Order: sequence, then structure tokens, then C-alpha cells
Amino acid sequence: MFVMTLFTGFSSATHGQPSEAMDQTNTVDHPKHSQIAPKRVVTLFQGATDNAVALGLKPVGVVESWTEQPMYHYLRPYLEGVHYLGLETQPDLESIAWLNPDLIVGERSRHQLISPLLSRIAPTVIADQLYDFKALLKLMGQAAGREHKADELLACWQVRVEDFRMKMASRLGERWPQKVSVIRFRGASARIYYGGFARSVLDELGFTRPESQRQSGWGINLTSQESIPAMDAEAIFVFMVESNPSVMETYRTWTRHPLWQQLEAARSKQIYKVNPVTWNMGGGYLAANNLLDELYAHYSLEPLNQAQECCTC
Amino acid sequence: MSNTAIVLRTRSERLTLRLSRHTLFVVAALGTALLGSAFVSLCLGSHSTSPANVFQALVSPHESDIALIVREIRLPRVLLAILVGAALGVAGLVLQGLVRNPLASPDVIGITSGASAAAVFLLTIGGAAQGSPLIPVVAIAGAFAVALTILTVAWIKHATPGQLILVGIGIASAMGALITLMIVTSPDTTAMNAYLWLTGSLYAAQWGDVLGLLPWVAVFLPLALSRARHLDIMAMGDDMATSLGSALNLNRLVLLLAAVALAGSAVAFAGGLSFIGLVAPHMARNLSRSGSAGLILIAAMVGALMLLLADIIGRIGFAPRDLPAGVFVACIGAPYFVYQLHRLRR
Repeated sequence: MFVMTLFTGFSSATHGQPSEAMDQTNTVDHPKHSQIAPKRVVTLFQGATDNAVALGLKPVGVVESWTEQPMYHYLRPYLEGVHYLGLETQPDLESIAWLNPDLIVGERSRHQLISPLLSRIAPTVIADQLYDFKALLKLMGQAAGREHKADELLACWQVRVEDFRMKMASRLGERWPQKVSVIRFRGASARIYYGGFARSVLDELGFTRPESQRQSGWGINLTSQESIPAMDAEAIFVFMVESNPSVMETYRTWTRHPLWQQLEAARSKQIYKVNPVTWNMGGGYLAANNLLDELYAHYSLEPLNQAQECCTC
Repeated sequence: MSNTAIVLRTRSERLTLRLSRHTLFVVAALGTALLGSAFVSLCLGSHSTSPANVFQALVSPHESDIALIVREIRLPRVLLAILVGAALGVAGLVLQGLVRNPLASPDVIGITSGASAAAVFLLTIGGAAQGSPLIPVVAIAGAFAVALTILTVAWIKHATPGQLILVGIGIASAMGALITLMIVTSPDTTAMNAYLWLTGSLYAAQWGDVLGLLPWVAVFLPLALSRARHLDIMAMGDDMATSLGSALNLNRLVLLLAAVALAGSAVAFAGGLSFIGLVAPHMARNLSRSGSAGLILIAAMVGALMLLLADIIGRIGFAPRDLPAGVFVACIGAPYFVYQLHRLRR
């Protein structure tokens, strides 16, 4: 829903967005190129592909998605005819070179190894974090000569965040801020996220977390059903790759377990199954907005209409 | 086999290298195959390029528009495959000679796992990202630590070569368990990087890797070659070797050092490739019945050729996905072993 509104044009409004200092550790090579706005962008991780689409840049080359191969359904309409460059972890360097790009977007943990080669192919920006979509949006806006567009998008996001917080506070009353857990089922194990894309968005939206989950790091992998109580919270968001039978088997056995039935969130029916692409894999501006859409729907909040979203920012 | 031979000697006759005609023929044939495969590999890619264009890119890069692709992406990868394959082949041959057991190889007796465990440890504690110059150093240290452990056990218990292999296999399993533990407890991204590294991939080989590995091969391969005749003598048994005047312990130590350094550095730059160290020496023995010196050269070339071909398959066969060469080395190695078994039964 929100995706559709993105391209209908934002008025060039003023925005009171505090300008956060650009992260100095981001590397922008070949600054001499940045005067000319890049036209041929190659994105080497999912969040960058999502953000490129959000910025109105259609990449010439992208890496394959983790599920719904070759590309997540929510991005497909914007990526017709795009070149696929293999996996996020090992993109095909030669194909990148053949595409003759003028901007390559990579990420530190994935592409540090190949970044010297990438820089020789084209100006390359390397993001610090896979899931920090806001920093990435600024970085890409700057590298692609679309700072203004990036600022606009971030200002709109800010409006939505504030609206959500306000409406949640009035809907939940004393129960806000709500303590929530983010859980993922996998083949033979389950995860509690302390960090990552969904958690960072939830934090920004004002959700809190149970005491035991106030830890740094990405989270914890649980292999024993005895650990189910560690997942408990006032509400639990659950996602998994439902096309994988072994994942669904884990989901069925764990959620049938008596300990699961005794969770506070289970008893109060506050367990929500959410979309893994939106909550974990997309990792960009559009995914973040889709996540917010899902939350509006789950909590039966009145969504902002398009006019409010854009004119107030 | 021809009984004429070519002998290379240094002036003082401290170092001699005796190669039969047949061995020279095999070496020349393998060398041609290696050069040919290397050039073919340079021509193949996600978009194949004509040999003429590739040649131009190599000779006069300034006039070529594919110089970047040939010289920066394909060439380092081809060279690294050759160096790594050669190092592993020689390491396997020397180890098999040292412990007088055809099943010995850097991966079987735990040297590869030692290097892998050290590298994965560094990756998972976040001490270094993939591609950090620290990883080779730590991996080589891991290889030496395992070798030292095996040696210490051998020293204290006066173990026979057969027992040494058992100790090595034990250490290899322990390292494997350690690696699994570290991967399970690490986050997705790190685990994925560690997995890719463990399978052994030449993906994104760069000039820095080639230049990092080159000194190790340039020093330790000739060192192994220079002590090759002692391997022949050791094959006759310890008593015979001693009575023939071989400084047994010293030569053993030098040869072991060379094998560990070659295997450790190869693994350090290309990840946990297995099988080459085990299979290449057997292939070399099938190709030639010459002494260890000739076999070392042949094993080096067979190893290099195996890895180069495996990497071509992994790089081209499934494009744009880049599959680790280690997968295809095993694909070549396993049928070969079945063939060996078949031969032995006849």
C-alpha cells in the first residue's frame, strides 16, 4: 500500500529533520564522480536494492533474494529486466564489471573482501550495517546525487513513526510502551532477536523488550524447547520461511508445547505471525514501511492517509 | 621406462636432482596441460571472451577494454588455483612419504583442520573480517600448532607412523567439533562466511592473495625438493635409512616443516580445501614410478591442474552463482578413489 504512494511524487516540502552527521567510517570512493548523478547502479545486498527502488533508482544489477527467488515479490514490479548477479555473499564480479556500473553499493560484513576489486570497477560505497536502512538511505542518496529525495523519505518516515507512537499510546493506554519479543523459527531451532532489522524498527517505534532481552548482539539461537519461556513478552512477533517444511515442523512442535501455551502472550492471544521478508530479509526503507503497515493493521490503528503523510513533512 | 636420466647437480654436489626421461616427459605434458587450462580459464567467464582479446589484455592492457576483467578478476584467481593446488599436492606427497602411509594427507591428519579452526575462531570472535591479512597468519599458526601437537605425542610415546596418523585423525575430529561449535554459536553472517571459507573457495582471489602465498611456495617447495631423496631412503625403513647415512630426525623435521608450511599457507589463502593433498600424490604415482623428486614435481602439477579445473567448473558451470572449487575437487577425487580400488582388486 505504502509502496504505491512512494512514486506518486512528493511535494518538495521543507523538513525539520535533524541532520545527523554522516557516519565517517562509510567509504565513498572516487568522490570526483559524485557530481554526475549515477545512472547505472548495482546493489549487492537486499537492503540496498530496496533502498535504491525507494530512491527511484532502478538498479541495473542486483543480487538474488534469500526467498521468493530471484527477487522478493514486493520489489519485483520495480525490477523488470534487471540483471541478477548471484548471491549476496558471493556476487559475480565479472558480471558486475560487464554491466559497466557507475555506482556499486555493498555492505561491510559481506563485501569488505571484494571492495578493492569493486572500487576498481566503479565508485563503490560500503555500508556499515546490513539493517540500518536510514543510514544506508542517506549514504545512497549522497552517492547517487539524491540527497534531497533521501531526506524527504526520511522525513516521511519520521511522520509515520510519530503518528504510530501517538495512536499506540492512545490505543493501549497504560499498556504502552508494550514489551515485545521478535522470534524466528528455523529448521530445528528458534531465535530470539535482540538486534537486527525488525528489532531496530520496533525500538524506534517505541516498543520495549523484556528484561532478559536487554542485551547487545544479534540475539540467541534456542535449540531446546525448555528455553521457550525466554521468549515471553506482552506480545510476540513470529516469522519464518513458510515454504520450508523443516521450519514449519519446528514451528508446529514448538507451538504445541505446553510451555508455549503457558506464555503470557499466548494466553492473552498476543502472538502475531508476520512476513519474514518484511520483518527480516528486505532490510530497506520499503520493507520498514511495510512493517509499519502490518503493525497498523495488527493493532487496528487508523492509517495515515497519503495526503497527511506527505503534506505534513 | 627409459633408464636414461637427466641429473641436475650443484657444483659441490650437495643438491642433486635426478629425473628420468619418462618423468621429464610427464612433467612436460602436465606443464602443457596446465598452461592450456590456465589460458582457457582466462578466456571463460560470465561472458566468454575471445582468446585474441584475452591475449591482448595480457600483453598490452592499455589498448584492451577487458583488461580489468582478465588481469584483475580472472588472472589472480587462475594463479592462486595453481599455487594452492601445487602446495597441497606436494604437502600430501611429502606427508605420505614421511609416515609411510598412502592415506596420510594434510586434511586427514588434521593440519588443514588446525588451520581452519584457527581461522574460523578468528572470524567468529570478530577478531577479523573476511579478507583480513590476519587470517592467513593465524591459519598457518593453527597448522603448525597441530603439527607440533602430533610431533610431541610422537616424541613422548615413540609412536610409529601408523599411530601418528591415528593421533592426527583424532586431532582432526576434535578440530572439526570445535569448528561446528563455533559456527553454531555465531550469528548468520559470520557463520555463512565461515562456511564459505571452510569449503575452500577461490572466489574474489586478488593479487594480494597471490603475492601472499607465493613466498611460501617459492621457499618450501624447493626445500621439499632438495630433501626428496631422503624420502626415498626413508621408504626403506628407519634402520636402513640410518645405515645409509641419512640424518633421519633432522630430515624428517625439515620435510615435515615444508609439508606443514605448504598445506597451512594454501589453506590460509584458499580455505579448507580437502582431497587434493590426498589424491594428487596417488595420481602422480600412477603417472610415474620415478623417485620422490620427480613425484614432487608431478604431484605439484597434478594438484594445480585439479584445482584449476575444479575452479573453472565452479566458476562457469553455475553462473552467476560462484560455487566453491572445493565441491568439485571432491567430485573429481571420489570417483578417482573408486577407480583406484577397482585397479587394486584386479
